[in-house]
Amino acid sequence: MKTGRIDRAFVVLAGIASLLLWSAPAGAQQHAAGTPAEMVTTYESLADAILSVKATEANLVRSILSAGYAHAQVELGRARAAIKSNDAKAVQAAIEGLAADVAQLGTEGDNAVAAVRKRLVEGGHHHHADGEAKGIYDEGFVVVTRAAKSAFLDASKALGQMARAPKAEALEAEWQKVQATYNSLMKPAR
Amino acid sequence: MGRERGGAAAVALLGALAVAACLHRATAPPVPPERPTPERLGGPVAPADRFLFVDVAASAGLSRPFLAGRPGKDHLLDSAGAGVAFLDYDRDGRLDIYLPNAWRLDGRKIVERGRNALYRGRPDGTFEDATDAAGVAGEGEWGAGVAAADYDGDGWTDLLVTNFGRNLLYRNRGGGRFENVAAAAGVEAPGWNTGAAFFDADADGDLDLYIAAYIECTLEEVLAAVPALDWKGLEKVALGPFGLQGARDHFFLQEQGRFVDATAAAGMEDKARGYGFAVRAADFDADGDLDLYVANDSDPNYLYRNDGAGRFQEIGVWSGCGLDANGAAQASMGIAVGDTAGTGWPDIFVTNFSQDFSTLYRNLGDGLFEDVSEATGVGPATYKSLSWGTALADFDNDGDLDLVVANGHIYPQIDLHPEILGTYAQRNTLLENAGGAFRDVTDRAGPGFQIAAPGRGLAVGDYDNDGDLDILIGNLDLPPTLLRNDTPGGAWLTVVCEGPNGGPPPIGTQVTVRAGGRSQRRDVAASDSYASTHDPRLHFGLGGSERAETVEVRWPDGRHTVLRDVKARQFLKVGRP
Repeated sequence: MKTGRIDRAFVVLAGIASLLLWSAPAGAQQHAAGTPAEMVTTYESLADAILSVKATEANLVRSILSAGYAHAQVELGRARAAIKSNDAKAVQAAIEGLAADVAQLGTEGDNAVAAVRKRLVEGGHHHHADGEAKGIYDEGFVVVTRAAKSAFLDASKALGQMARAPKAEALEAEWQKVQATYNSLMKPAR
Repeated sequence: MGRERGGAAAVALLGALAVAACLHRATAPPVPPERPTPERLGGPVAPADRFLFVDVAASAGLSRPFLAGRPGKDHLLDSAGAGVAFLDYDRDGRLDIYLPNAWRLDGRKIVERGRNALYRGRPDGTFEDATDAAGVAGEGEWGAGVAAADYDGDGWTDLLVTNFGRNLLYRNRGGGRFENVAAAAGVEAPGWNTGAAFFDADADGDLDLYIAAYIECTLEEVLAAVPALDWKGLEKVALGPFGLQGARDHFFLQEQGRFVDATAAAGMEDKARGYGFAVRAADFDADGDLDLYVANDSDPNYLYRNDGAGRFQEIGVWSGCGLDANGAAQASMGIAVGDTAGTGWPDIFVTNFSQDFSTLYRNLGDGLFEDVSEATGVGPATYKSLSWGTALADFDNDGDLDLVVANGHIYPQIDLHPEILGTYAQRNTLLENAGGAFRDVTDRAGPGFQIAAPGRGLAVGDYDNDGDLDILIGNLDLPPTLLRNDTPGGAWLTVVCEGPNGGPPPIGTQVTVRAGGRSQRRDVAASDSYASTHDPRLHFGLGGSERAETVEVRWPDGRHTVLRDVKARQFLKVGRP
């Protein structure tokens, strides 16, 4: 299936190249000393598109994180309210929801996103190939560094463990860690 | 490295209690055990060199080799092997053995389709081939796993054989005969199916079914495969699992003998398309219903928490058992579940690829886990080998759960460079529990543990009914290994919970035995390890205690049976109230 996709892309590119050659003056075909300018221009456009897609990928993952964070804030609000009203069942549900959201910050999305990431890696796409080699990023990760992943996962487990016997201060302390990690990742892109 | 902890070896003998065994029936919610505290983790330490296992497979008559694709293991299917099972299909009180089989290939050519084997246990500890008489040879499918359970509640143990291809559901008709009802029951689910678990997910009294699946691929792709993955710049080996599409797992609800796909409705969608291998149902959070753990190769493992009505929430990552302590997904193959530290909570042990730790997740209470592989010595002891089937079982009857692991690499090509990773054929591993930590006793566990083979499926059971647990291991391209346990151990008690119509122990039944000042809990499951099924009778080592103070059975419907002052060294049958 992957081979099929690559073949189709190759055919499309070859078609574009053929059209360009066809439209070029006959003399240019016979005496061209370099790559035809039209092809270079097309390649430039393609490069813009490729780089733009990479930036779009980063923005999409930031959006995933942002949505996850917003959801976590809602759960946090529920947990705070439930603690105040001494509603143990609601507290547990909210804190477990919060733990799940924070875990998903660490894994840059849920299991469905993981499947997409796996497909990209299998196809040879590594958003941070260099960063992966240096141990900064896990394979296929786009925004969340290893250190941030570890911090999110630790926080999610700590939250999960406090769900049945929560203390407001402990909850706030754990959330502050999440907040700090999130903010460090979501600085405006260069 | 594995720690050795000091401690008294003796377990206090019970005083002679003159109370006759009494039966107590009640309906009550499950009582969660206390949370573990460090001071409760201590326990007696067994002396070294006490283990003795001998391979008796050949003399017992287990002769049929497992056909495992091509010699070079050109595709992952060639090297995946299969599970194994202990069961008592004819209800004669002796364990029988079921072994799925695969195919022998030569390049693209199918040379031989292996026949599954059903070996019937004889009173003298040997086995006779009952495959043809029972009609369970496997229909020419490529076998992957086996889950044995009485799915229709008629009192006879049935067999689900998972395959690369169509699954088989052999319904036990009694009288030593089976019939394949997979199509009518709706569980054929063509694909590369692996581990499976029968369990009552929705508490309606019948068994439902989860089947893990590994990779989406066709037979044509398998036959056309050639080793193409570069291994350390030295050899070409089989591709995958990366680069291959993961297959989706299935969950079926049973409706009067028919299994209806309820994967999405139950919240058990395999969204990550994880490369699923092993499955285990257990009540990890002690809330009275069965949850489900799925070991995925190279993907996060799943913990599906049951809400009691058959709706599940996947909580593996934040509950602490989806990733290792470093936040990494591991190449998980097999699962063992048991209380390794005497806390009353079931821990999860997961076997992994070579050059990676197998992982012990300690249950902190309420179904939350912590990776304690390094602290308990399990990690370092399992780092080098490539591990598959596994079990937590008390092999020396000293009252705690030891750990056995079947090993074997997937690339025969590594034998050309043994200095790097060792060999394709590997010794299995035995780790002794010493107060909640583990020490590697493989070297001193007898000749059976010195055998190197490409091991895969593993099941534990007392096949010779002598009160200690023996080990059955499936090997690639070889007959199985049957390790008879000749360890001089302590007292024991095996609890046989009778199912409907006097059948096998009901899945999900929990038994707690209190003896010598300690409490041990086991549960009945159909399938874990690596796509394998253990002896459903629940075995307890009692150390120096010749009596158990109480034996408490919690049946799947919530009712309890309590027996008091129970003599050791017996198979204790407990009828369902």
